[in-house]
Amino acid sequence: MSRYEEPETREIPVPGFARRPGGPQRRPQAQPPRDASGRPRRPQGPPRQPPAKPPVRPPEPPRSGGGAGRAAVRTFGEVLITLGVVVLLFVVYELYVTNLMSAQLQREASAALDERWSQERELHADLADGTAFARIYIPSFGADWGFTVQQGVDGAALEVGPGHYKETAMPGEPGNFGVAGHRVGKGAPFNDLDLLNSCDAIVIETVDSFFVYRVLPMSGEVAGWAQGKARDPRCANVAPLQDEQGAYDETFGRVIVTPDRGDAVAPVPYKPESTLPPASQAALLTLTTCHPQFSDRERLIIHSVLTNQFRKQPGAGYEELLREIGEA
Amino acid sequence: MYGWIWRHLPGPVAVRAALAVVLLLGAVALLMFVVFPWAEPLLPFNDVAVDPS
Repeated sequence: MSRYEEPETREIPVPGFARRPGGPQRRPQAQPPRDASGRPRRPQGPPRQPPAKPPVRPPEPPRSGGGAGRAAVRTFGEVLITLGVVVLLFVVYELYVTNLMSAQLQREASAALDERWSQERELHADLADGTAFARIYIPSFGADWGFTVQQGVDGAALEVGPGHYKETAMPGEPGNFGVAGHRVGKGAPFNDLDLLNSCDAIVIETVDSFFVYRVLPMSGEVAGWAQGKARDPRCANVAPLQDEQGAYDETFGRVIVTPDRGDAVAPVPYKPESTLPPASQAALLTLTTCHPQFSDRERLIIHSVLTNQFRKQPGAGYEELLREIGEA
Repeated sequence: MYGWIWRHLPGPVAVRAALAVVLLLGAVALLMFVVFPWAEPLLPFNDVAVDPS
């Protein structure tokens, strides 16, 4: 037992005070007390018998001046709160719901691609918009990171996964295989594109081949490349494209451009008028997404160069390839 | 607005609450599956491609 005992609470009758569960409250007794909805609160004391019939709602109490104004202000406030909730719901939609929808579309596209690959032997160039024709893997994003690549960069194609700029080269060809993808929502395939470093592998799987591209040196790495990162075995076939001819002097691993730079996916990036013959062009893979994240002010561009090419062997898939290129 | 809706829902409080939840879910579904997919292309969050010049 505690030595201390709570003092007994006693109710002292004071005129004009009514004791309530929420604490003492002074109320004028002229009107029955009302709750928030404007209906009379049940009086205190022993519960009375409920009336036989539910009573008709009592008439609205007379408002103390400016009733219409108060109603207008309250409605205005409710509308503002509702709009705020709608904006929050849009964020939820953008960040989560679109992911669920795109995950379903991606599953369907992947199944359809497997189905087609089981029948076809080579890549067809005449692809309908939105048709998946390749897979993209980025081993540094995890061995389970993979998406189908659709033909076209319109909204419907990008909802499924990354999309191929139709006018650009196909995988493995000299020139520029351009791929766009969402960074936020819609499955966000290119969410972490800014984390790619030079020599990170980007693998493209087509019906008959794996093409291993590696991210080009960043602009700050070009000068000391031969003495620095070139010694990394992963960089074996990667070298800066900058040379005396200057055709590729703006093509670095990571570039941030304004949205109107469609020439980022030109055969020679940023040189749409280049007369470099296709035979002399590097085989590039260019990924584009929005930048900064949640904004469309700029575009984040990743340029990579083809380093290896493997014919698909029966029974050997992406996991075997990862071991082959030392990324497993 | 909400008070008006509440007063015009029929039935006792439990039924009204259930109806209110149904109305709320309907409004959210309408937003998620009709309004937002329609409004999304008009907003600048999804431009990831570079425009061909």
